[in-house]
Amino acid sequence: MAGYLFRRFAQAVVVVALVATIAFFLIHLAPGDPFAAAVANPNVSEAVRAHWREAYGLDRPVPEQFMRYIASVARGDLGWSFSLQRPVLDVLADALPHTLLLMSIALAASFALGILLAIAQVMKRGSATDRIIGGISLLFFSMPEFWLALMVVVLLAYRFPVFPIGGMVDPVTHGSLGPVSRLVDVARHTVLPALTLTLLYSAVVARYQRAALLDVLPSEYITTARAKGVPERRVIRRHALRNALLPVITLFGLAFPALLTGAVYVEKVFSWPGMGLVIVNSIDTRDYPLLMAAMIIGSALVAAGSLVADLMYLAFDPRLRDED
Amino acid sequence: MDVAAVTAQLCRAATFNLLSTMRQFAPFAAVLVIALACDRGERAASAAGDSASPGGTIVISTGGDPDVLFPPLLESVAAQQVTDLVYDHLANIGSSMNTVGDAGFEPQLARSWTWSPDSLSIAFHLDPRAKWHDGLPVRASDVAFTYALYKDSATASPSAPLIASIDSVTTPDSLTAVFWYSGRSPMQFFEATNPMLIIPEHALEGIRGQELRTAPLARAPIGSGRFRFVGWNAGSSIEITADTANYRGRPRADRIIWSIAPDFNTAFTRLLGGESDVFEQLTAASLPQIAGHAEIRTVLLPGLDYNFIQFNLRDPAHPARPHPLFGDRALRRALTMAVDRAHIVQNVYDTLAQVAVGPTVRAYPSTDTTLQQIPYSLAGARRLLDSLGWRNSGDGIRRRNGRPLEFTVSVPSSSKARMSMAVIVQDQLKQAGVKMNIDKLEIASFIDRETHHSFDAVFGGWHVDASPGGIRQTWGSAGSHTAGSNYGSYENPVFDAAVESALSEMNLDERRARFKKAYQMIIDDAPAIWLAEPRSMIAISGRIRTPSLRPDAWWANIPEWWVPPAERIARDRLGSSR
Repeated sequence: MAGYLFRRFAQAVVVVALVATIAFFLIHLAPGDPFAAAVANPNVSEAVRAHWREAYGLDRPVPEQFMRYIASVARGDLGWSFSLQRPVLDVLADALPHTLLLMSIALAASFALGILLAIAQVMKRGSATDRIIGGISLLFFSMPEFWLALMVVVLLAYRFPVFPIGGMVDPVTHGSLGPVSRLVDVARHTVLPALTLTLLYSAVVARYQRAALLDVLPSEYITTARAKGVPERRVIRRHALRNALLPVITLFGLAFPALLTGAVYVEKVFSWPGMGLVIVNSIDTRDYPLLMAAMIIGSALVAAGSLVADLMYLAFDPRLRDED
Repeated sequence: MDVAAVTAQLCRAATFNLLSTMRQFAPFAAVLVIALACDRGERAASAAGDSASPGGTIVISTGGDPDVLFPPLLESVAAQQVTDLVYDHLANIGSSMNTVGDAGFEPQLARSWTWSPDSLSIAFHLDPRAKWHDGLPVRASDVAFTYALYKDSATASPSAPLIASIDSVTTPDSLTAVFWYSGRSPMQFFEATNPMLIIPEHALEGIRGQELRTAPLARAPIGSGRFRFVGWNAGSSIEITADTANYRGRPRADRIIWSIAPDFNTAFTRLLGGESDVFEQLTAASLPQIAGHAEIRTVLLPGLDYNFIQFNLRDPAHPARPHPLFGDRALRRALTMAVDRAHIVQNVYDTLAQVAVGPTVRAYPSTDTTLQQIPYSLAGARRLLDSLGWRNSGDGIRRRNGRPLEFTVSVPSSSKARMSMAVIVQDQLKQAGVKMNIDKLEIASFIDRETHHSFDAVFGGWHVDASPGGIRQTWGSAGSHTAGSNYGSYENPVFDAAVESALSEMNLDERRARFKKAYQMIIDDAPAIWLAEPRSMIAISGRIRTPSLRPDAWWANIPEWWVPPAERIARDRLGSSR
């Protein structure tokens, strides 16, 4: 197992290094300038722009910039955000926990709800319940993320103002609240974005899980269990589900990077100060250091997600352990 | 012309437009009538002197975080709003927006000022009561320090060129700062006061150059303004609170909070739902929804923006040569003649914009609105193109020597208004036998293309500052070089001289006459088709009382905004209890 883990870790490092290298050169090839706003301001003199480029090393050849960047990252310094005028590490330290909070709630709820819906569908396959759940899943599956987010805002925050319209806290009252009230404030603001993401993701999970369960149900061991008189509910939960989880584990591995890279549209609509917005803004403003940090984190999480999925395969399927 | 006259003129123009288009745009018109009526009613209430006790929390919806809260380095409007309220100028430009001499300027840190007999220096006498928010007194050395910081090339302040005419600042005593100039100019006073917010020297001891960006002061300002900084929660909000012992008096509101909402629809819903009080990015499409909310009023301000289709007068492939199409002045005039600007502005903006008068805005006292425009005439444009040898070739596109009359205009995808206008211009030019292709670009690529002059035409736009001097860079020969902002490379020494002559004139009437001459020259040369001059429309909660808003900075008078006790809601009471 240790050897396996080491090999996978080494592969992940290579993948991240490759992605970072390619991303660095592609970003610098893209048209645009980190000081675009300044360029568009006729008051900013060329001397000032030249000073900024020199100060940030952007006047040097791109390969040299790359070597300096790698050296800087190796020292644990991810650079300085041009657009936010802060160290990249500080920006990430602010945004990452916000996204982690939202996405972990959303992903956990999505997988739990999706699997439960799939079980309900399979247990009553072919019935009206199966078709209704399937139809609703398909509906949410096909909905644009930003549109659903806006509808949730209009319905549950504007027409029926049960929850706040956006943000992570109430900017007016939060500072004057006690510790418990602050938690409640954050929870109230988390409900709508988490609900939106849960509705979207659980539809995907439900469809994958239902298909996987239906694949497993004709298996001989299921027939055997039924022949032994095991109740259908127990057959599905104890025997079918465990083997049908593998495709959903793959899905989890793929969704894993979203834990830290966020959901851009939902964060934008709900003014959630997370990584999704940071990444989009860094692209718009050609904020190279911030964008590179996001790329490195994103690729590292893809690699980590793949590793977590593999480990979960091993945990859920003993046959794979034997092969390993 | 003062701002009241400008506003009155706008109101009259809006009413005229409304009446003339009432049939077509009845719903919009009704909404705008209500909006204007509400605004007039609000001003009347203010004028009546609703002498309420101070109080209220004002929540302003904003699209994103400020870049930095350090005046010499900031660029974003959000940062400007916060720092303008936390820091002080020596004196502030008044609502007349006069930039010539010191007429209309209102004292801030400088209680008074004295011109030297030769006008080559101005002595500012500081208010001895002024204190920084950390309790230390404001001294003349802070003014000299601020000037040195802005001017220092290591600071690389975007505002440095605006104070280039100031030679030095001396401090004969702790409450007097003298600004010295190498020559006289009408803008001397403006340059000493407007570009710089005074910064505390003691908070930046030993910090210079790049280190300024990481200084604590850059994210937690200590000013002398009527509001003091409370906190900045990145991505969420910024809060400032009343400086109750301020030397210029306590502001009337308790707290100002900028609530960050990057999505337009969310920000707008927050306004409608009462979570925010001020929203400044209203569009014509959002007016019908506002109409259903009597508790929200709208304020229309003269705009400081204008947009245009700018022709590249140089060949993008061979910059030494004239552009094969737009090097020809007569062709540019023909294209301008083929575009019905009034129709375009009406369709895209309804009454939220006026047809641009040229490379300027009506809000400037120096702008004469009687400039002769190239008139819209499709028949005239066709005749002119015929006379230039551009003949219809059967496929609807004119040709000369086999070359089609075709060009591409680059448009930033971030501007829906410019995209809509480009589509209408495309159709109008097609009727004249001209093929205009639209190249939609994301903003960074658009700016890249502009700055590298690699375009036939761009759909550009400028936001001007309080002084009309920026025209040197945007349309003058000085801005035509590679690093300048005159992307179309329009060069006319006579125009340059006319602009310099206007900028050096002290008398407003004569200044306006000289600017008229310069503007008329560039309009006749048609290096661009000047299209729209959008107005700013701001939505403000009806419970907030405001004096008149300054066109260039609606937030400038926020210290005078307040909420009457009878109309205060929970968040207002929370503000006063903190």
